[in-house]
Amino acid sequence: MARIVNTQLLQKIKRHGAGGTLDVSACFNCGNCVAVCPLAEDSAGFPRRMIRMAQVGMEQELLASEDLWRCYACGECTETCPRQADPAAFMAATRSYAIARYDFTGLAGLANRSAAGNLAVFAVFSAIFGVLLAAKQQAVAPSAPLFNFLPGEWIHHIGVALFVVVGLSAVFGMLSMFLRFRAQCGRKAVALRLSALPGALVQALTDALMHTRFQRCADGERTPAKPAEPLLKRPWAVHAAVMGGFLAMLAATTLDYLLKPIGSPVAPWYPMRLLGAIGGLVCLYGLAVMLGRRWKASEVPWKKSSFADWFFPLLLAATVLTGLAAEVADYAPLGAFGHIVFFAHVVLAMDLVALLPLTKFAHVLYRTLALTLFAWSHAPAAETAAEAEA
Amino acid sequence: MNTQIDSSYRPDALVVGGGIAGLQSALDLADQGLKVLVVERGASIGGHMIALSKVFPTLDCASCITTPKMSAAAHHENIQILTNAEVEAIESRDGLHRVRILRKPTYVNFDKCIGCRLCEYACDTEYRDRFEEGLGAVRAIAVPFTNAIPQKAVLDAEHCLTCGSCARVCPTDAIEFDQKPRTLAIETEAVIVASGFDLNSVTVKPQYNAARSQNVIAPMTLERLLAPHGPYGRVLRPSDGKIPGAIAFVQCAGSRDESIGVPYCSRVCCMYAIKQAMLLAGALPLADITIYYMDIRAFGKGYEQFFQNAKAMGINFVRGKVARIDPIEGGDLRLHVETTEDAENPLEERTHDLVVLAQGMIPGWNPAQTTPVACASDGFVATPRLTAPTATTAPGIFTAGTAAGPKDIVDTIAEAGAAAIAASQYLFQKRETAVAG
Repeated sequence: MARIVNTQLLQKIKRHGAGGTLDVSACFNCGNCVAVCPLAEDSAGFPRRMIRMAQVGMEQELLASEDLWRCYACGECTETCPRQADPAAFMAATRSYAIARYDFTGLAGLANRSAAGNLAVFAVFSAIFGVLLAAKQQAVAPSAPLFNFLPGEWIHHIGVALFVVVGLSAVFGMLSMFLRFRAQCGRKAVALRLSALPGALVQALTDALMHTRFQRCADGERTPAKPAEPLLKRPWAVHAAVMGGFLAMLAATTLDYLLKPIGSPVAPWYPMRLLGAIGGLVCLYGLAVMLGRRWKASEVPWKKSSFADWFFPLLLAATVLTGLAAEVADYAPLGAFGHIVFFAHVVLAMDLVALLPLTKFAHVLYRTLALTLFAWSHAPAAETAAEAEA
Repeated sequence: MNTQIDSSYRPDALVVGGGIAGLQSALDLADQGLKVLVVERGASIGGHMIALSKVFPTLDCASCITTPKMSAAAHHENIQILTNAEVEAIESRDGLHRVRILRKPTYVNFDKCIGCRLCEYACDTEYRDRFEEGLGAVRAIAVPFTNAIPQKAVLDAEHCLTCGSCARVCPTDAIEFDQKPRTLAIETEAVIVASGFDLNSVTVKPQYNAARSQNVIAPMTLERLLAPHGPYGRVLRPSDGKIPGAIAFVQCAGSRDESIGVPYCSRVCCMYAIKQAMLLAGALPLADITIYYMDIRAFGKGYEQFFQNAKAMGINFVRGKVARIDPIEGGDLRLHVETTEDAENPLEERTHDLVVLAQGMIPGWNPAQTTPVACASDGFVATPRLTAPTATTAPGIFTAGTAAGPKDIVDTIAEAGAAAIAASQYLFQKRETAVAG
């Protein structure tokens, strides 16, 4: 069966992430990266094979690969690479490239390749949401409650429309990855049985929520042994803080909408309000550590950051900060300033959702899908499972 | 060989280094009637080669082919040899090189010493023998090794307790505890830098844990283990004296690795690993021998055939760079490697009981600051002219062997001859011009 080779693949990947500084063509395929990787398994799918695919232009195979998303960028490969080809940055750049390729609108490519493109996409979306919201903005006294200033129903309508569009875009993106994956399974004669899917899904979600492999990645064996970082500063714990905080805020917002009338005043200890506030603070802690590491740039995975690497955590941090400020404004009226902060928060939150399939945020979709696909394609055959039980 | 050299001594050429390159250059110059001074920093001439067991691809005994060269140089009427001496500085002016040589104290008067070794037998202090790569013991005063030249005792001040036993037994009163470092200044017209190589440490890559296991050894250590007159007389592993049953050679462990700052290829490791594997297969017929390599560079005459012979002998060749070596129970070692030629299950953890790390060749001497000779970015002597491979950046100063870059013995000897011819041609032309002018 013929394979399509993209001779420009390596060049294209280099335009993503910190790829510009990459010298992957220096890689002589010694396999050091695989052998030091704390996550490498018998199949040894990454990083060397990924690099090889990129070198020879096997784009479809690369985009079909769930292995791309099974790396958590501990940086051990980069530190020990004999050619200093920086496999960790290559993996990150390739993930960024994959996000761009899975997105059919082309916007992800624009947002991931350059700071200008990223800001342009951000500005256009902000302008759209700003104009839409401003259309129903009420002329009220500075001391008026926030939802008198921006009607909750209107925000809700825009939100629903946004979720539908982004949801469709996400589905297309994930289909794009899945179809390529299935084609590769066909090539390798790997059977995907529908009965194994629920199990795989549970396995992937458990892994994603519990950070099982991320923990192995960050806390894995090292030579020379690295001093263990305090629990709260370990990369997986920091990520768990951001993710957990985000999920708490998402739950708080959703339940808040479902359980009580929009904008009705509540005490600060109202469970949903409290959940949101704590989630916000936890998330901010995680983001502060992440951004601090990128700023210091003293350790391998954070040494090279592209604009896109900065953009997503910054956007999330701005959304959380304006959200917390809006909460404060709800109790201690900040006057017109409170209204502006609230307006900004709503626009930023909508940007965050709109940009989900286009920015680093998309890892939520693709990493989860990749983990599922891996578990699915590696599920033991039915007979073997039955035999094992017997 | 004359050790009574003073400033009035004026050789036609100076050779820096008494290894195989320096000796070959010195002999080729001396045979043309030129007077040559060889300066060697060690206690014996012969360099690394005299410590080897056998050489590839002919499996000649290294001692048997090095000793005659050493002896020929030592007995040549036109060659003077200074051991325990280092070139401190070279200043070149008007086609003349003023060389400052540091003569380190040996605490033995070489003119009186007859090499009878009575002092060595009387000495009570022993320490790890560097010639045996630390595997055997040597006395604080001793002739460096059995076939050393000169056969003169040298006292190691670091380990000597100055008890005086040696001085009491010495039949010629050669022991001089009060020797001081001396500086000698001489003038010469041509210089050949044959200062050779060092090997970077086996601990240079922390992932290989050589500091934590005695059974992660250097290739020179294995040379001594394999040598018929080596420390044990047979191959035993250092930690517990066990006869190794599974031996691994980890190639490119100190070179071709930018993470340790040695990006270039050391050029000899593939071949000596194959040679050592063959010798091991002879010494330990039951042992499993595996060479982990990135690619086998068997480029010289007869080398590819040598490689094929090794494969036919049953040496295992596994393509993949070893990433980590972990010491495990019982002194054994676990290697982490991706066997990159296996499509299925390429990630391996393999256990061996002795591991040899192919160290990288690094320059043995840096002449850049103290002499007019420039070094290239890799630290080896720069030889910028493709058509004059032995010419350095300084007129009248030539280079040969591993001083100019990693190379094997065959290439080293060829280059040493070339450097001798280049130097003598330079000398004769210079003198003709002087006469004509």
